[in-house]
Amino acid sequence: MSLLAVANKDFQDTVRSRGMVLLVALFSLLVAAFAYVVRPQGDGANEFATEVLLSFFVGPYLVTTLVPLVGLVVGYNAISGERESGSLKLLLSLPHSRADVVFGKVIGRGAALSLAVFAGFLLPAVVLIAAPVSFNPGAYLGFTVFAAILGIVFVAIAVGCSAAAATGRQALIAAVGVYVLFVLFWGVLTGQILGAFDGVIGALPATSREIGAFLEVANPRTGISVLSDAFLAELLFEGETLNRQISAAAMLVFWALAPPLAGLLKFDRDDL
Amino acid sequence: MTAIELRDVTKEFPGVTAVRDLDLAVEEGEVYGFLGPNGAGKSTTIDMVLDLVRPTDGTVTVLGRNATADSVEIRRRTGVLPDGFAVYDRLSGRKHVEFAIESKDVDADPDAVLDRVGLLEDADRKAGGYSKGMQQRLALAMALVGDPELLILDEPSSGLDPAGAKDMRDIVREEADRGATVFFSSHVLGQVEAVCDRVGILREGTLVAEDSVEGLRDAVGGEETLSIEVDDASDAILAAARDVEGVSRVDRDGTTLVVSCESDVKTRVIDAVEDAGAAVSDFHTEAVSLEDLFLAYTEGDGPTGTTERDASTGGDDPTEGSVEDDAATDPEANADAVNGTDDEDATENGTENASGDDGENDSGEDADPETAGDGFVRSDEVDE
Repeated sequence: MSLLAVANKDFQDTVRSRGMVLLVALFSLLVAAFAYVVRPQGDGANEFATEVLLSFFVGPYLVTTLVPLVGLVVGYNAISGERESGSLKLLLSLPHSRADVVFGKVIGRGAALSLAVFAGFLLPAVVLIAAPVSFNPGAYLGFTVFAAILGIVFVAIAVGCSAAAATGRQALIAAVGVYVLFVLFWGVLTGQILGAFDGVIGALPATSREIGAFLEVANPRTGISVLSDAFLAELLFEGETLNRQISAAAMLVFWALAPPLAGLLKFDRDDL
Repeated sequence: MTAIELRDVTKEFPGVTAVRDLDLAVEEGEVYGFLGPNGAGKSTTIDMVLDLVRPTDGTVTVLGRNATADSVEIRRRTGVLPDGFAVYDRLSGRKHVEFAIESKDVDADPDAVLDRVGLLEDADRKAGGYSKGMQQRLALAMALVGDPELLILDEPSSGLDPAGAKDMRDIVREEADRGATVFFSSHVLGQVEAVCDRVGILREGTLVAEDSVEGLRDAVGGEETLSIEVDDASDAILAAARDVEGVSRVDRDGTTLVVSCESDVKTRVIDAVEDAGAAVSDFHTEAVSLEDLFLAYTEGDGPTGTTERDASTGGDDPTEGSVEDDAATDPEANADAVNGTDDEDATENGTENASGDDGENDSGEDADPETAGDGFVRSDEVDE
């Protein structure tokens, strides 16, 4: 099948990229260092569990800042890079539709990134097992899955930008913009928007606070945190944050599909 | 059925019309050479056939289907060697071919097709380390996967050395023998004569000529120029040469007679000059070279007749003169002299007469080995 052929090709191409390997190594070392530094000393050791480490340290400080970065790096060049180098001509000389190219790349590079995330979590796992911490493999593995999902969402956003961009430069700028938006300015920006549309919101059947709460989890980073925290607390899709979790999950699906679709709309019309 | 049909196709890019009201039909099973200087619109035309670029106006039909709506189905049945492509640096040659096999959903042996293009030994190296010529061979291998009904080759010889260009021609011929339609573009005429059934010449987005190579040659003027070095170029000698049937024009250049004549009367012209009392010390001939033919269509206002080639091929140099002299009486010797020891290539370039004789052909005994050799060498210079 054409989509899978593209995905397979892109997976193989991506896992051989040196940049990818470097990022994974960096990520892995940082997580391992975190695990080592914040490991509890002395009496409290047995109560300091994997969940706490992941939920309070690795999650907010590493996963939600570094994994989006890796995802964008893996994805931004997917189509614009091939367009500039000319390998897109080789790719489209074969019987692939442009939709197969865009979504094949999301799948292939998303898979490559997932592999990288799992590889990146291996070394920290060894540290945690060696350290006097009660290691919960199930929680650890589950958390890795959430980290990979976050990465895939950012790969999808980056591939969408890459499909729409006419040049590699445009795609790079878009990727930087995406990172700044979601990692640095999301709260400020959504706050401004809420303030600016105060009057409009008053007419809607929702309060400003509800919309603000939705916008907060609409950021895939927050969304993943909401879900992974619920998972680590063993309250995934239940408990009092259920509505937040559903919104978060829906928005993650949205971010995984909408940017590639939007990018495809432009890419499909372009003369290459 | 026509394999490729363009009707009234126009493609405008911002500020430039790349292709203008182009009508083109490539019949099933033929080898069609699509010629034109750089920037004539060849690649744009091919891009429209492959749906990389959509026409501003007109319709493009490939294998009976609409080029835009049915592009994937068309490409399933078509092998493409694009121009200006790049390989995936990190993937091996074999991976590329496997990707093509998987993409076309066919059952094929990667090694067989790699062997066919001469890349089997390097199949496991990363394609990023390949030379330009090897990358060209790799893309050809990908195009050949699945025995496509139609082969579209955009500047297939670019980056290839003479041996590679010959391999390319051999493969084109094999594919044509298998029944495939071959459509290829080139800005070098030397590659075309040997393999094409028909040639179309594109100039500024418009087709200015379409015929067999022989037909084009006739249209431009099939005469040859015979230069005879004599001791005494008097008016009487000129008149004697002029009286020979088949001679259209005689000019004097110092002690050299420049005779425009049909190719089969050359020996009679020389006899006539000697009979009139002149001593012939040297002579050589020039045919309409493919280069001249090409230039006549792409730079002039259409067929203009034989143009003189530059002075370096003239008879002033005694060494060269003697080569030309030999050549006039012995076509094989000329082929060898121009092409080094590779007699086979001269024959290849000569004409389509595949009977494998000794470099002779129907348009004049000594004309083609010379021009073929010239076109061949020139093609490599251009490509580098």
